Amino acid sequence: MSMSEAVKTPAPPVETGLVYAHGLAAIVTLLISVGFGILASVELLLPDFAGNPSWLSWGRLRYDHTQGIMLAWLGNAFFAFLYHAVPLLTGRSVTSPRLGHWLFGLWNFAVVAPGWLLVLAGFSQPLEWAEFPMIIDVFVVAGLVLAIVQFLPPFFSRGLEDLYVSSWYVIGGLIFTLLAYPMGNFVPELVPGARGAAFSGLWIHDAVGLFVTPLALAIVYFVIPAATRRPIFSHFLSMLGFWLLFFLYPLNGTHHYVFSVIPMSAQIGAITASALLGVDVIIVVANLLLSLRGSGVFPGDVALRFAAMSTIFYLVVSIQGSVQAQMAVNQAIHFSDWVIGHSHLAMLGFATFAAAGGLVHAWQRIPWARYNARALDWAYWLLFAGVILMVTDLTIAGLAEARLWQSAAPWLESVRSARPYWLVRSLSAVPIAGGFVAFLLGLTTGQKGAGLQAIQQSIGLEPVREIAPKLARAASEVS
Amino acid sequence: MNGSGRILRTSYVVASIAGVAFFVMSVALLGVWPGRVLDGETRAMSPEHPLGLTVSEQRGRAIYSREGCAYCHTQQIRYLHADMARFGAPTLAWETRFDYPHLWGTRRIGPDLSREGATHSEDWHFAHLYAPRAIVADSVMPAFPALFDGSADHPRQEARDLVAYLDTLGRARELAGPEGEAHARSACQCAADEMKQMAFHAAALNGNPARARRQGDSPKLPAAGNTERGRQLYVHNCASCHGGRGEADGLGVTGLHPRPANLAGHEYTVDRLSYVLWNGIAGTAMQAWRDLSAEDLAALAQVVRGFHQAAPEPDLPANIVDLGGRVYTANCSQCHGEKGGGDGSAVGELRIAPTDFRSVRPSIAESLRALRNGVEGTQMAPWTGRLNEAELSAVAYYVRGFYQGAQ
Repeated sequence: MSMSEAVKTPAPPVETGLVYAHGLAAIVTLLISVGFGILASVELLLPDFAGNPSWLSWGRLRYDHTQGIMLAWLGNAFFAFLYHAVPLLTGRSVTSPRLGHWLFGLWNFAVVAPGWLLVLAGFSQPLEWAEFPMIIDVFVVAGLVLAIVQFLPPFFSRGLEDLYVSSWYVIGGLIFTLLAYPMGNFVPELVPGARGAAFSGLWIHDAVGLFVTPLALAIVYFVIPAATRRPIFSHFLSMLGFWLLFFLYPLNGTHHYVFSVIPMSAQIGAITASALLGVDVIIVVANLLLSLRGSGVFPGDVALRFAAMSTIFYLVVSIQGSVQAQMAVNQAIHFSDWVIGHSHLAMLGFATFAAAGGLVHAWQRIPWARYNARALDWAYWLLFAGVILMVTDLTIAGLAEARLWQSAAPWLESVRSARPYWLVRSLSAVPIAGGFVAFLLGLTTGQKGAGLQAIQQSIGLEPVREIAPKLARAASEVS
Repeated sequence: MNGSGRILRTSYVVASIAGVAFFVMSVALLGVWPGRVLDGETRAMSPEHPLGLTVSEQRGRAIYSREGCAYCHTQQIRYLHADMARFGAPTLAWETRFDYPHLWGTRRIGPDLSREGATHSEDWHFAHLYAPRAIVADSVMPAFPALFDGSADHPRQEARDLVAYLDTLGRARELAGPEGEAHARSACQCAADEMKQMAFHAAALNGNPARARRQGDSPKLPAAGNTERGRQLYVHNCASCHGGRGEADGLGVTGLHPRPANLAGHEYTVDRLSYVLWNGIAGTAMQAWRDLSAEDLAALAQVVRGFHQAAPEPDLPANIVDLGGRVYTANCSQCHGEKGGGDGSAVGELRIAPTDFRSVRPSIAESLRALRNGVEGTQMAPWTGRLNEAELSAVAYYVRGFYQGAQ
């Protein structure tokens, strides 16, 4: 059942070319998406600095920033990881390399690139996490169908013997995203006002809960055992976490519209599900951290280090989410920068760190790929510092705004008081963008095949050496 | 392992089906069911023929959508006292029935706009869209010069559409009036539901403190205010239009019709300033400032009164005074009132209230300027065609005599 056993059985070849293509596309589109975000953040400080051409106006940059992060960066990174992981998880190749070329082309040249350009040209829809215009949504759905055809059949073929929790998340993530996507992107165009908002709220959470979270968790659940060469601590907890996640996540959506006209019982149901979700995440994270025991908070292997910090960010962001869904908290901090901090902790902390871990892990195992361990080290620490700075800053900003909104102060006081925080947020782009550039260098410079050396060096594995004496000592103290 | 292999295979299938069922359940419970309830509420509580959007307003809505306005301005007033105090009555389901797709938003950098309609004047919107910081000094809103032909007073059709749309926000419910509220309230059948009742208990349907009112009370301001505080407030809130020294030469001046008042060229009573600050001047870009405290308004009033430099009053020959009185009675009193109180018989016909000379005293220069050029954007026309120089001067002096604020 463990990864080491799987490694012994001859695995089919990984389509390293497709891993590489999606990986590179992921990082390039990531840099562009981050660029949109930086421009938008600077425009809040100096609204007129770009001269106000309509294609650079704040709203359009904001649309492209989030769509780029979700579809371009995470989408490509997830696909890259799946090309690496699916053959190892199933013992079978993906359906077809040619299909892979189609999927790559469709995703990047029929979804991401035209989506961005159309938004900048003024064609979009004002729905959160669904800003690309509807014509692009058609291609997204087509891409998701292709991804399902590409990655899922190997899981269902005959002779499957091993059960990895990672597989469950891959299957769940792809299928539910296909189901949820039209609900968030098409339904609100057809159903007006408050009714449409109810569906929109579902998708706002499902985009993160059914697309980003399962695939990020698939990576973490894959990288941790693969890098530590030990099985996941408890498959029971894995399954419990999985099922609770897919039961609870979709029930969260309405918590984006607390105190609205949407029926109170739906709001309370969503708030309750949000609280329970925190419990589920504690289960998942406990299981992951116990699987990591002995590796330290900052393991030597960069891929594992990204995955480990992703796990910790996941815990923090989820507990935060459970708390901020509660009415007493929500009425104050909703609409404020606190929420922007929260979403960055989710997408930039949890999801991006998982995706980065998955990419590095896969990259290390492409024999012909360049790999620069020092640059990746820099990438990790710069991103770590950047995320902490940005999220802390925005959280405090949100509290300051909330306090002013509760008072009788004129509205503009809250804008004025936010400016120093926005400045810090813009400055946090320095380590973050620097980290991503280092990440790009880490995967494109250095010697070919250096990744394999990195793996060798990180074997050695304190885990077994260190944990056994500790456990023995603890046991003797108890007795 | 063959046995377990089969179990695993079927478990994937079972899992997939169960998972899909979870998803369907979430859509049913949090999408479809609330949708049905909201649909029922909309049908029961909506007026029979609510006013939808014209074609121009719909185009404006599309511009609002594509520029991401909803990502800084919500269109959803929550059932919370903090929201109601700032923006007015909480949003009812039927008010959103024409919103394809909804524009509720989840972030407020700027204020909520659910009830923006009739809050600011059209020229304010144009000037603000063209160059937000020319009107609201501390705004971080993006400027939209592409909607204009080179200046705020040359809006293109897109700008007109957008402003037309902004003026619809909250309109349907205001038009429904007290009968509409009563109808919605009885159809709501929520007498016991404290939260839902909040929708009908707001102090004002439109609680925006910037909304100008044609008449209303205003607070009695303390005679003296904190000058330092007043200067600060003036710089942040007023200087963009009225200029740093009150000479109506701020950045926002172009595009505003009528132009902002030249504060240095007029004397104002404290009560007048209190009234204008509290209620705004309906029909002009001068908004109300009801979100400022009475102390702050007093501080502002002090600064504004300080702009005026008293000049020695010339002694006028009696015949000039007489001439001024005759010209005034014949030409001005219909609007400005017999005693200069801005309350003439024609006032009801005017979009913008005429000057009340008892509480505002223009300098000779301002008075003559208004008589010679008229006041653009109001019904005050130039009088050079009907009055000769002597008559113009005479009446320019005469109106100053109504002022009751002189010490």
